[in-house]
Amino acid sequence: MNAQPTAPRVTKETKNKIKVEFERTPLIERLKAKFINMAFVTDVIWYIFRLLLLIGIAYIVLFPFYTKIAGSFMAKEDFVDVTVMLIPKHFSLDIYRFIILENDYFTAFGNTLLLAGSTAIIQTFICCLIGYGLAKFKFKGAKYVFLAVILTMVVPHQTLQLSMFMEFRFFDILGIVKFLSGHATVGNIEWLNKILAAINIFPAESKNAILKGIIADGALNLNNTYWPLIVLSLTGLGFKNGLYIFMLRQFFRGVPDELEESAYIDGSGTFRTFLQIILPLSVPMLITVFLFAFSWQWTDDFYTKLFFTSSKTILMPDIVKIPTTLETNYAGQNLYYPAIRNTCGLMIIFPLVILYAFLQNFLVQGIERSGLTAD
Amino acid sequence: MTNDLQLNKTVSVPKAVKPKKKRRAASLDKRKARAGWFFVLPFIIGFVAVYIPIIFDSIRYSFSRIKIIPGEGFTITNVGWENYRQALFVNPDFVKTLLSGLQQLAFDIPAILLFSLFMAVLLNQKMVGRAVFRAIFFIPVILATGIMESIEAQNVLGDYLDDPDGIADGSGQSVASDIVSAIDIEVLFANMRVGTEIVEYVVRAINNIFNIVNRSGVQMLIFLAGLQSISPAIYESCQIDGATGWETFWKITFPMISPMILVNGIYTVIDSFTTDSNTVMKFIANEYTKSSGQEVSSAMAWMYFMIVIVAIALIAAILSAFVFYQRRD
Repeated sequence: MNAQPTAPRVTKETKNKIKVEFERTPLIERLKAKFINMAFVTDVIWYIFRLLLLIGIAYIVLFPFYTKIAGSFMAKEDFVDVTVMLIPKHFSLDIYRFIILENDYFTAFGNTLLLAGSTAIIQTFICCLIGYGLAKFKFKGAKYVFLAVILTMVVPHQTLQLSMFMEFRFFDILGIVKFLSGHATVGNIEWLNKILAAINIFPAESKNAILKGIIADGALNLNNTYWPLIVLSLTGLGFKNGLYIFMLRQFFRGVPDELEESAYIDGSGTFRTFLQIILPLSVPMLITVFLFAFSWQWTDDFYTKLFFTSSKTILMPDIVKIPTTLETNYAGQNLYYPAIRNTCGLMIIFPLVILYAFLQNFLVQGIERSGLTAD
Repeated sequence: MTNDLQLNKTVSVPKAVKPKKKRRAASLDKRKARAGWFFVLPFIIGFVAVYIPIIFDSIRYSFSRIKIIPGEGFTITNVGWENYRQALFVNPDFVKTLLSGLQQLAFDIPAILLFSLFMAVLLNQKMVGRAVFRAIFFIPVILATGIMESIEAQNVLGDYLDDPDGIADGSGQSVASDIVSAIDIEVLFANMRVGTEIVEYVVRAINNIFNIVNRSGVQMLIFLAGLQSISPAIYESCQIDGATGWETFWKITFPMISPMILVNGIYTVIDSFTTDSNTVMKFIANEYTKSSGQEVSSAMAWMYFMIVIVAIALIAAILSAFVFYQRRD
């Protein structure tokens, strides 16, 4: 009978305020109920466990970068000193200085910026077009186009390196250049071959190296220029473009059709709808793809090695070498050289780190909104 | 009279509209189809004019010898299966590298998938500093590729700073850098009666953790996106029914994420088969730089590609048996 709670007691009453005292469980009891039970304990344990785990893995990710940074500031002496572990004893900027001075860092930086920037922008836009076309339009053969995209993703690029080199060494689409420069032949029909050989729109005494190459080979030599990578980007065949097309296709499938339908009803064409309605709302996804395309092209050493065979164009991978001034024969060499190479790596990724710091927010956003589904 | 008029009206109206409507609908479809072709046109042009010739040439080169004659272009002589024969029977290391590479992949792929799923689930929970952790875990996706990978491969310094004893034997590989040894784990698992194979697998995975973390960035992103697309309402109803976290994971999260496991499985296979740090890829790339090794390396790469296709088909077949597709209406 006593369990009935007593009525709230009015302690103070003024004109527009009233203070009422309820009978409450004492604070200690409340805290006990809240904190001393299994659910809370497991929560705390799980929380600590999770935090430790995350910090541990973050350490695994970040520690290699730390060792590289530490090594990059060490002077030569530190590499023979056993007592130097993770903190440089003789602070020195020699490695940085000579990489900038002797490895043409800034030339490489400018060239790579031009190359990676242009290919990344082209790739983002082209992959966007293709992904949108595959996601939103039902046409005969769409399935096969998608299969072709998957095929380009699956074939390892090493499989194609020789033929890719040859393709761009003797670049020619459907024999047009061959025809125009008089190199075309039609079997054994003499008179036709003679006529074909007479066709030559290129001036024979040209001093231009490209034209000379055309006259000699009957094909364009695109190697050692940016064109191979730009042609590949323009056609959605560049490095990992299959993945971008796939990602964008999934993203566009999540965009409601009603948006476009209302634009069509208002009289907008498909391309205009794409440019003015779809592109603006997919900015985070575009930035994600751009970030991937840019940084993967930036650090790429497969295509650059393949297409840039002469050492005229210095790109980022070319600066990874030992500056001549720092060459040495002394005992610390087997640690000093890796440290120099690491520093080269650090300097290569330094612009990417800054880019990532600015764009990482979009990266997570873009991925979250992509609503990736496999169906 | 009025009746007639009405009849006329009712009959004439649909007559006038019907065929028109039908034609218009067809033309809209056609127009949309045409627009679709227009959007994928760059890819089709590239695929037909650049990619197919490249593939075709690559197959042809793997059966021939090439000579570049300055000023004349190049000549190709067909040598039949010679290059394949060279790769398989003359080259002493190819088969060995291929086998050990495949073994390594069979080990890596499940580890990467498990790890990235686990991390994605962790990173999907609400907690303090989630954004920071996410930013850190995605660093390798951006930074640990291409040239960085090859720098990392010859980075003795990292091992040294980690543990100076390892350098002494001159192999550049630190013996003592293993985080755990099989014996430690075996003590831990002693009462669980699991086979030594599992123990060894776990040990290898832990000691290889840097590699695995580095390579599971994209997979983590894909899983995270998949997790985000699961409706919170399902979790809520689950909670109301009194399911524990463990049950929720296996009954809700896992089936809903299973299509992503398929996608990720295939992506991981492709990625680990084609990455530059792959031993077979390195071997083929090395072969490519040798004199007249280019055609042989082409042949090797094609054999390798066939294996990739088989592996993808296998993985797709195995995983798609477990995939659950949510019906959407």
